[in-house]
Amino acid sequence: MRVVIMGCGRVGAGLAQTMQAEGHQVTVLDTDAFAFRRLLPNFAGRRLLGSGTDDRILQEAGIGEAEVFVAVASGDNRNILASQKAREIYGVQRVVTRVKDPLRAELFNGLGLRTFSPTKVGIELAHTSIFAEMPEGAPGAGGGAGA
Amino acid sequence: MYIIVVGGGNVGYGLALELQQLPDYEVTIVELSSSRANALRDELGEMVVHGDGSEIAFLEGVGASRADLLIAVTADDGANLVTCQVASHWFNVPRVIARVNDPRNELLFRRLGINSIVSASGAVMAQIEATLPEHTLIPLMALESAGLQVVTMRVQEGSAVDGQTLRSLTFPQGVLVTIVIHDGTAATPSGDTVLHHGDEIIAVVPREAEDAVRGMVTSPPVAAEE
Repeated sequence: MRVVIMGCGRVGAGLAQTMQAEGHQVTVLDTDAFAFRRLLPNFAGRRLLGSGTDDRILQEAGIGEAEVFVAVASGDNRNILASQKAREIYGVQRVVTRVKDPLRAELFNGLGLRTFSPTKVGIELAHTSIFAEMPEGAPGAGGGAGA
Repeated sequence: MYIIVVGGGNVGYGLALELQQLPDYEVTIVELSSSRANALRDELGEMVVHGDGSEIAFLEGVGASRADLLIAVTADDGANLVTCQVASHWFNVPRVIARVNDPRNELLFRRLGINSIVSASGAVMAQIEATLPEHTLIPLMALESAGLQVVTMRVQEGSAVDGQTLRSLTFPQGVLVTIVIHDGTAATPSGDTVLHHGDEIIAVVPREAEDAVRGMVTSPPVAAEE
């Protein structure tokens, strides 16, 4: 599949690496060139400097032919704007959006985006970990809400 | 009438000054930056609230569910869009207005059902068009939901419509010529009304017919129409 990922933070870079290893055609966008350092040297996808909310950048990323758009940049509103653009203007079938605010995530889930809230997931994981039966000396679940 | 203005920049501040004058309006200005919010509060008082207008929990706190109108005028299109969507879909605010900073975002805002859009560059363009001597078609008002515009045009000498009766002209589908101003006198036109160069026409025009109509009042008739 052709995949465009907006945001090359830990999540964006990790996802790009995973998808590319699975054989997908991946383009990663970030407004900060320094963010691309998170990609391994063997990453064979495209790195594109610019904002995923900008039509020129989206077009350069080949948004019109993409099957998947993932917005995992830092701001909720930017992610939501870019995702709705991918869906409504460029007709991308599958759009996944990170929205930190759980209520906003819920609202836009109902408005056609596939959203996930790391805040909500983090709370649930932390809560579960507190009450999980732990073998003596074992660390808790490792997946925090790190963005 | 309760109005929430999100964004206390120059636009939001100017808006607040205007709205404050109106007797039966209750207005809240929401500003994200605490220093800016404090500065505004010194001048405008308690109507200014510091917070994130795109956050549902915060909007709840400023009474969004009883708001009659929400206006999002920050410099960030993402915030303006999300704020308006939250207001309409979560709080059922009956009317929302969004400022669009990047004109390329206008189409998205429209598709997503934001009833009114204020585009600074669009407004400036309309002003520029109005000052050009060859100005021919100036949008007066947009009827967003129907995709229509109310426009004013001036009939140019030798154009396709100059000297013709309305009945003899074929305007694009959906065009309604509502007022013809001839020698300073406005009249509701009939089929027998003859258009003269220099006349001003007020018409309702579908957005997609704008160029065709502009052509008719400015350019000579196309040969194929003979």
